[in-house]
Amino acid sequence: MELQQETNKQLVQQRMNLFCYPVLLIFLILGARLWQLQIIQGAEYALKAENNRVRRVELIAPRGMISDRNHKVLAEHRSSFTVLLYRESITDPAATVRFLAEKLGINSEDVESKLRRSRETGMYRPIVVEEEAGIEDISIIEAHRRDHPEIQLVPEPLRSYKYDETGVPLAAHLLGYIGEVTEEELDGELFPSADYGSLVGQSGIERKYNELLVGQNGERLVLVDSRGREVGLLDDENKPITGGEVQLTLDLDLQKVAAKALEDKVGAIVAMDPGNGEILAMASAPSFDPNAFSTRLSYKDWNALLEDPDRPLQNRCIQNSYAPGSIFKLIMAEAGLESGLLDKNTFVDCEGTVEYYGRVFHCIENGHGRIGLENAIARSCNIFFYELGRRLGISRIADHAAIMGLGQKTGIDLPGERSGIVPSPEWKKRTQEERWYLGETIPVSIGQGALSTTPLQVLRAVSAFANGGFLVTPHLLYSAEKSEGNPEWPPKQIGVSESSLSRIREGMWRSVNGGGTGYGAAIPGLEICGKTGTAQIVSKETQKRVPGVADDHAWFAGFSPRENPEIAVVVFIEHGGTGGVAAAPLARKIFKAFYDKKE
Amino acid sequence: MDRRVLFGFDWLWLLALLALSGTGVVAIWSTTDGTSLDSYFGKQLVYLCCALFVFIVLLYFNYHVFSDYIVFIYAVGMIMLGLVLVIGVSIHGNRSWINLGIISFQPSEVMKIVVIIALAKYYSMHEGEYLGIKELFIGGLIVFVPLFMVVLQRDLGTAVTYLPIYGVLSCLAGIRKKHLLLLLVIVVIAAPTAWFSLQGYQRGRIMNVIYPSSDPYGMGYQSRQSEIAIGSGRLLGKGFKQGSQGNLGFLPARHTDFVFAVLAEERGFVGSVFILGLFLFLSYRLFRTAREAKDRIGKMIVAGVLSLLLFHMTINIGMVEGLLPIAGIPLPFVSAGGSSLITYYAAMSLCMGIWVRRYVN
Repeated sequence: MELQQETNKQLVQQRMNLFCYPVLLIFLILGARLWQLQIIQGAEYALKAENNRVRRVELIAPRGMISDRNHKVLAEHRSSFTVLLYRESITDPAATVRFLAEKLGINSEDVESKLRRSRETGMYRPIVVEEEAGIEDISIIEAHRRDHPEIQLVPEPLRSYKYDETGVPLAAHLLGYIGEVTEEELDGELFPSADYGSLVGQSGIERKYNELLVGQNGERLVLVDSRGREVGLLDDENKPITGGEVQLTLDLDLQKVAAKALEDKVGAIVAMDPGNGEILAMASAPSFDPNAFSTRLSYKDWNALLEDPDRPLQNRCIQNSYAPGSIFKLIMAEAGLESGLLDKNTFVDCEGTVEYYGRVFHCIENGHGRIGLENAIARSCNIFFYELGRRLGISRIADHAAIMGLGQKTGIDLPGERSGIVPSPEWKKRTQEERWYLGETIPVSIGQGALSTTPLQVLRAVSAFANGGFLVTPHLLYSAEKSEGNPEWPPKQIGVSESSLSRIREGMWRSVNGGGTGYGAAIPGLEICGKTGTAQIVSKETQKRVPGVADDHAWFAGFSPRENPEIAVVVFIEHGGTGGVAAAPLARKIFKAFYDKKE
Repeated sequence: MDRRVLFGFDWLWLLALLALSGTGVVAIWSTTDGTSLDSYFGKQLVYLCCALFVFIVLLYFNYHVFSDYIVFIYAVGMIMLGLVLVIGVSIHGNRSWINLGIISFQPSEVMKIVVIIALAKYYSMHEGEYLGIKELFIGGLIVFVPLFMVVLQRDLGTAVTYLPIYGVLSCLAGIRKKHLLLLLVIVVIAAPTAWFSLQGYQRGRIMNVIYPSSDPYGMGYQSRQSEIAIGSGRLLGKGFKQGSQGNLGFLPARHTDFVFAVLAEERGFVGSVFILGLFLFLSYRLFRTAREAKDRIGKMIVAGVLSLLLFHMTINIGMVEGLLPIAGIPLPFVSAGGSSLITYYAAMSLCMGIWVRRYVN
């Protein structure tokens, strides 16, 4: 019995010894795993722990100010709060959506669809649920910070464009607006500093000088717990740096007058220093409010702007081209003079109508009688220029139009400029695969037919007559804080003789001051020179049949004074009627404002 | 009490226990808020005092007292387990707690010791070199009836810890190869049944160990966060209250089941190997006690306690290190919680009692 027990005890002992090695192995494995996690992969896991607890909050840098030539503000920024939703911190999506709907009045379906879409764009990109949160919403969110750490307020500077005294946005077309960068733009070279979700210029100066205007975003490192609640700040925050100021050549006072002159009209006005190409005013109507784009514009509002038949987003100064009408007679005059077809003794008899190639062409009812170049410009005699056009032929007309800068971009520092059309036999063959008929030359001689120009092209050509034969490069940039040195805008000499220019200027002076069609622009005591244009859209017969349906486009282009000009102006009114009545008086307002301010 | 009992007391052993519990208390202090009696830290201190009291009181009794009255004790334990099913309260989804007003306690924890003594007693009554099929079956009943009641409490983690008691004690008492094979066959047949009776989340936890990165924000989240906590502790750790994983809430159950991760994060490789070392030392002391124990039942009881301790430790640290599926099993002596702590001190007292009485007749 005793012996048996003793044997059994020893048996238990032997069997127990068998367990020794497996137990040691277990300790070895657990220890080895610690070695692997803490020593071999320690640095890697330390980084993971760091990323776990730190949230990077981007601090958006405000864009730089845009100002006029006297540092008056055109666009700046104001502070606002954006409500963001951090998806990784959401514990109960239904509760989050309900909170947003009940407390902040944010549409549940919108939030849900944004949440669904965010699944594809990535977990850690916060979702924008409300912009420009009101003070009430801000306090509600602050009060619920602990229950809803997934909802965060982030300060975001909003672009703010100035209005004039009557509430009209200033220079909307040339300033442009900003919007979120697209995928294609990110791949392109226009915005090297842009990142996913950045706001970049979508048109105008904002787009052209985006890189001068953007600031440098900062960031704040926030210590968060596992639910995303902020529990502290790490280090000093990296403050955002506001973008540089961009100063424009614009004169805000003149800009306001130009915008006011276009009130209730469809058209464009540009004023420029004819000597160096600095744009003093550039207005296009109808206009839009670029502030609407500063917050993310709804599809409805965006479509309304796009589908408006008056196309308010279009900058008519450069982004559309029209038949120049009689203003083109100035280019005809230059072509005639420089080709030696016109001298002091060249006269044409105007009898009111004339027949070319079996078709009757019109001038004023009873004709101008025997008329020379200067008066033909002043009184805008068609028959004089029909005859000149017939003698020049279409090729020489096209060559000289090109010399005066038509049919090509002016090179202004704005995106989306059109080049217009200067018709020629080559152009017709290229675009319509047809030959040029001689009869087509006659309407081109008075700025009709396929000829089309932007108001800015007309202004540049007229400036060349004023400044002694230089094609300037129109521009808006006066100086920029971030650019090195001031940009050069060298004028191009076109090689027109002074005698030709002086005869054209004489004609333009008589147009305004010598009983010509441009009398509406005249200001006593000022040596204003100009030329009107009335571009026919449909034939006179159709106009009579359906009155008002497609009134002529009204033009006026001029400068002042006659020698050493200081300002050149172009006015274009879509379907405005005759240039002398609809356009010249508006140009007068610009001249007047310019000289009033000078005194 | 015999003078030899007092002189044979193993102070280093007790010191190792206190070192483990002390590290646990400090870790709990570090990773939870507050130091009042109501805080986790304060409560753990109170539990530790209770546990030491139980340790001293139980040391006074000869272990034969427990084995002699084991039928009675076993019956009381079964009644308690039954009571849990009737008046028990749920904590963390486990309906395994009895609320005693001031404290709640888990009968399933205490029952482990009772089962060890009962099985040791039953097997040591058997005289033969090997256990017969009858002994194996009755021994199985002693273990599996309470185990089944714990399963009914939906506390699968605790239930699983009963298994090694049966396995190890049966092996020590002598199991024939054919019987061992038979048991293995039963396990193979039972395993699929068990797999399909598991809850979805439990299956997910097991799958996660096999394919860890398949779903980093779902099932694997806890394991991942635990690994980050351990790994980021590196050699020396981040220091007291400096563990970001623990203190910022990335670690689940950081003061209970995942307390080892907190230790590893704040004390580093050095600290966590020290803990492993303490467990190794403790295992050695228990092993020595089993070797030196006066009789067969003493050997069996110590071996049962040792297997329970090692199983708990392996499952818990293995889980925290991402080697084993997540199961709600605390780390002995270290994790916050009274029932487990008191149970283990009681078990240690029992083994210490066997050690000091190794020469006593």
